[in-house]
Amino acid sequence: MTGALMNQIVQPPTRALSLATEGITKIFGAMRALDDVSVQVEAGSFHALLGENGAGKSTLVKCIMGFYEADAGSVLLDGARMSLHSPRQAQARGIGMVYQHFTLVPCLTAAENLVMARSDAPSVINWRAETRALEAFMDRMPFRVRLDAQVADLSAGEKQKLEILKLLYLDQRFLILDEPTSVMTPGEADEVLTLLRGMAERKEITVLMISHKFREVKAFCDSFTVLRLGRVTGRGDAQASSVAEMSRMMIGETTLRERAPRQSRARGQPRLTLDKVCASDETGRRVVDHVSLGIASGEILGIAGVSGNGQSALVEVLAGQRPMTGGGLMVDGTPFSPRRTQLDRFKVFGLPEEPLRNAVVPRMSVAENIAFRRFDKPPLAGRLGLISPSRIRAEGAALIRRYNVKTSSADAPIETLSGGNVQRAVLARELSGDVDVLIVANPCFGLDFASVAEIRAQIMDQRNRGAAVLLISEDLDEILELSDRIAVMSEGRLGPAAAVEDTNRAEIGRQMGGH
Amino acid sequence: MSTDLLIVFYAMIGGAIRVSTPFLFVALGECLTEKSGRINLGLEGNLILGAMVAYAVSYNSGSPWLGVLAAGAAGVVLGAAHGWICKLPKVNDIAIGLAFMSLGTGLAFFFGKPYIQPSAPRLESLPIGSWSQNPQVQQALQVNPLFFVGIALAFALWWALRNTRAGLTVRMVGDSAASARAMGVNINLVRLLATAAGGFLAGVGGAFLSLSYPGSWNEGLSSGQGLMAVALVIFARWNPLRCVLAALLFGAAGALGPSLQAVGVTYGYHFFNAAPYILTLGIMIASARSKSAAQEAPRELSIVK
Amino acid sequence: MSSAFPSDTTRARLAARLRQSLPDARLIEPAIIPLAALAAAALLFSVFLLILGKSPVTFFSLVWTGGFSSWFSIQNALQRAAPLILTGLAFAIPARIGLTLLGAEGALVLGGFTAAVTALPMQAAGLPAQVILPVMALAGMAVGAFWMGIAGWLKHVRGVNETISSLLLTYIAIAIASFLIEGPFRDPGSANKPSTQPLGPDLRIGEMFGSSVHWGLAAGLVLAVVLWVVMARTSFGFAARMTGGNLRAAQGQGLPVGRLLLTCCAIAGACAGLAGFFEVGAIHGQANASLAAGYGFTGILVAFLARQNPLAVVPVAILFGALDAAGGLVQRRMEMPDATMLVLQGFIFLILLVSDTFYGRLPFLDYHSSRDRT
Repeated sequence: MTGALMNQIVQPPTRALSLATEGITKIFGAMRALDDVSVQVEAGSFHALLGENGAGKSTLVKCIMGFYEADAGSVLLDGARMSLHSPRQAQARGIGMVYQHFTLVPCLTAAENLVMARSDAPSVINWRAETRALEAFMDRMPFRVRLDAQVADLSAGEKQKLEILKLLYLDQRFLILDEPTSVMTPGEADEVLTLLRGMAERKEITVLMISHKFREVKAFCDSFTVLRLGRVTGRGDAQASSVAEMSRMMIGETTLRERAPRQSRARGQPRLTLDKVCASDETGRRVVDHVSLGIASGEILGIAGVSGNGQSALVEVLAGQRPMTGGGLMVDGTPFSPRRTQLDRFKVFGLPEEPLRNAVVPRMSVAENIAFRRFDKPPLAGRLGLISPSRIRAEGAALIRRYNVKTSSADAPIETLSGGNVQRAVLARELSGDVDVLIVANPCFGLDFASVAEIRAQIMDQRNRGAAVLLISEDLDEILELSDRIAVMSEGRLGPAAAVEDTNRAEIGRQMGGH
Repeated sequence: MSTDLLIVFYAMIGGAIRVSTPFLFVALGECLTEKSGRINLGLEGNLILGAMVAYAVSYNSGSPWLGVLAAGAAGVVLGAAHGWICKLPKVNDIAIGLAFMSLGTGLAFFFGKPYIQPSAPRLESLPIGSWSQNPQVQQALQVNPLFFVGIALAFALWWALRNTRAGLTVRMVGDSAASARAMGVNINLVRLLATAAGGFLAGVGGAFLSLSYPGSWNEGLSSGQGLMAVALVIFARWNPLRCVLAALLFGAAGALGPSLQAVGVTYGYHFFNAAPYILTLGIMIASARSKSAAQEAPRELSIVK
Repeated sequence: MSSAFPSDTTRARLAARLRQSLPDARLIEPAIIPLAALAAAALLFSVFLLILGKSPVTFFSLVWTGGFSSWFSIQNALQRAAPLILTGLAFAIPARIGLTLLGAEGALVLGGFTAAVTALPMQAAGLPAQVILPVMALAGMAVGAFWMGIAGWLKHVRGVNETISSLLLTYIAIAIASFLIEGPFRDPGSANKPSTQPLGPDLRIGEMFGSSVHWGLAAGLVLAVVLWVVMARTSFGFAARMTGGNLRAAQGQGLPVGRLLLTCCAIAGACAGLAGFFEVGAIHGQANASLAAGYGFTGILVAFLARQNPLAVVPVAILFGALDAAGGLVQRRMEMPDATMLVLQGFIFLILLVSDTFYGRLPFLDYHSSRDRT
């Protein structure tokens, strides 16, 4: 009888793993990416790893996953020291990661992706047997994805779900998620995080989530660790700590720039008008579907939306990088097309996303890049179109100083600059004159807090000076901070714009999900 | 008159099969290479070098099939070198292809001088046309077993790309290098092997040129066939089975001139010789902005990025 | 007793000293890396020769003799360099705007043919040479420009890969020219080798200043300088370089990308067509199969070695002209096939492209110089 009682008291072994790092240090050349980092993640917990861009979060998890070898320190899995040299080894031990960029193969189906992810995938695959096993697996899962769908046809949210399903399929018991909800609607994010939290509470998995969204951390996590410049600057109980405490640990004592004062003005005639603009992608699918909007002087219209709903395509149409298949653009009531003479005449300027890819020529110098708007006009261009490199350099140097672009010289190729400085150079080029229409896309992606604050202040400054600003961003916080009016883009269509005080996060989330 | 037409018809069929065989091998090789995300424009060099090596080895050893194998081996060496060099950072893979084209051609011409005159043992063809009384038809329907080898290879490749781990790995590497890296696959090794295998097939294709049809070694043997194969693969949308059909189409275009000459039509033979190039250009234009090509292209391929 | 080998710290100090004494890495790399590649290719070719039982020393001394050692051989080299300058420019200019066009050979052939046949009616009408020659040149350049433009236009409107299309167009061009030369425009007197009617003696382009080098060299030099100025010092060239450096950024700045692409193709085709004009006017006197001598393809290698810089094309073209001039001598004396130079060129091309990987990675160069001015 005592034996039966004992059996009842003994807890079933937990599947969830616990993980701890002790004194991890990683050095890249002259930079200390991680300095003596020790993190404890209890089995079955939902642990948040906080920090701003460049704090070392990605580096830390790559050390755990075996992408990098730490220069000092060790990783303990369930108390046992382990040394991992490759992601495959981490996978074998039960550690899995969902990355910020997708690691699914677009041309393969969901089923093919899942089977190929296994380290014991057979040399010759019997699809009938595998499909049967996969169906059985899907039945056990709280959310599912169509097995025969080609990954290229899935939405970003479905892809992210498939990434998580992949980890569960591989029987991973310590899940690392890198900003998992950045490509999901608020509804999808809540669905996935709730389910993962449930599994963690049942001790089936342990979750380590990299995030910068305090709201999610407070809603789903039980503990957190904060990194800043490669060092641990704080840890604690996510439910007990306040957002203010967490953000102080993230950015130190520097005060966050106050939201720039907003000059109110009566809304006049629209300066920039889009009338039923349409565009398609290479496969003929319509990605911008009859988008219409109007922006007046001195206002910021923010377009919110999850990545992949046509925002990038819309920006490309405005920038002349993608042909418009229908509709029209107008500035001040006159038809407009993004050609150089018209850009100058209507004083239209732009800060595209991913500046290295869209706004600058990497191998040309910083001074030359800054001269892109003016190289074919006097004073830089003389008679017969002859240009003077020394004048370009001098003008560039002046703007570099004015906008604090950190570069070894005005002649350095712009690809040698850090992300924040490339964006500053683009600002120097686009915002140093009179701006009537400004088109901004994801301006602060991947930048440090200081650069982010500076850039947002510049945008607000242009708005106060009377520019009509179109702000497209996948960062909802950014949209809410800067916009006067907000519209939501979903599946290529733009919803009606609402004043920022007339809408809220929940409403926007609903529209992002396509109602 | 109708016998003339019939002769042209059978000459076209036989010619299409004959001319298409090297196209088929080079296209299958390039298809495999491009599925792994690499483009090899140097296959023209593999083709010509393979032709010379096959002829020389056949002459010296007396065995044409040994020549075929040797040609494949030469192709593997060039392909592996291409694959190894292209993994170095900042190297322009299109330019490297051009360099291999010129190096392969140069080496072939350099070492091939002594073999222009002598006659080497050729590959025997299967007499498919033995049912006919007409000797011209019989002549037209001599088919080399390599043609059937090529078709079998196409099916094998198609099957392997869908049902084996190696095949799916190649597709993964060619479509999303980030995913492959995350799974711990050695991308450079996969591409090197794919390019080397592609080189082997291109070398075998070259062996066909010198040991079967036209069946001799000289410096004018190939002009651009290797490059046309690249266009052919795009036209076939990277599907090995469609490569067979596309190769036959090209073969028919290339056989047009000789078939008409067989019945005495010689006017404008320049244009019939130019027909394959014009056809290639035409299909490149047609498939350039094609939506299905965009969907099925391996996303890591530099010319479609 | 101090050690014979420098210690680690000494070596580090020497490396730092070397780094400081050399000028900025960005200026040095474009010069020393191609030169090092040339040297490495020469080394590899020497090994190749040794394996074949030939002497590299003999080879290179014969190259020197045949290409550089006497006034006769220098003129020979310059003569063969003239078309290479033009075909080198024909590859380099589109390369600056991001196009890899292999169509120079076709443009040269068509340009030469056009020049040869436009002369005939004017010659028959008795017009003076001063009128006929410029018209011939312009006609050749126009046809060349049009032919190269096709590949650029196809790339712009349909996204057709220009490398393959330009090569196909070259083969088609040669077929068209052969058809016309052997057919409607055939000179009845040219039985063995089909050609167009030969040009009259006063239409033959003469030599410069009593040398034996024709005026094509001067044309090449002038064009090289002019095109350098255009690409490096005009707003057109700046816009072209922007487009070649990042098409999306150029589009975002509203540049007329299509117009820029076509103009660069036209310039390239005009250069190649002009080379064809000089081949007909100065060398052959008529259009025939000798026009397709491979200058178009060698020009590609010239452009790569010159790193697509119009001024650098000139010395590189002269180097290749010297190799070409020495080719016959080398092959006769060393009893090697005429493909020898092709093999050497292949090695040079390959090693040159491989050397691309060393940009930005040389340990003894300083890439973050603090001596720069800001």
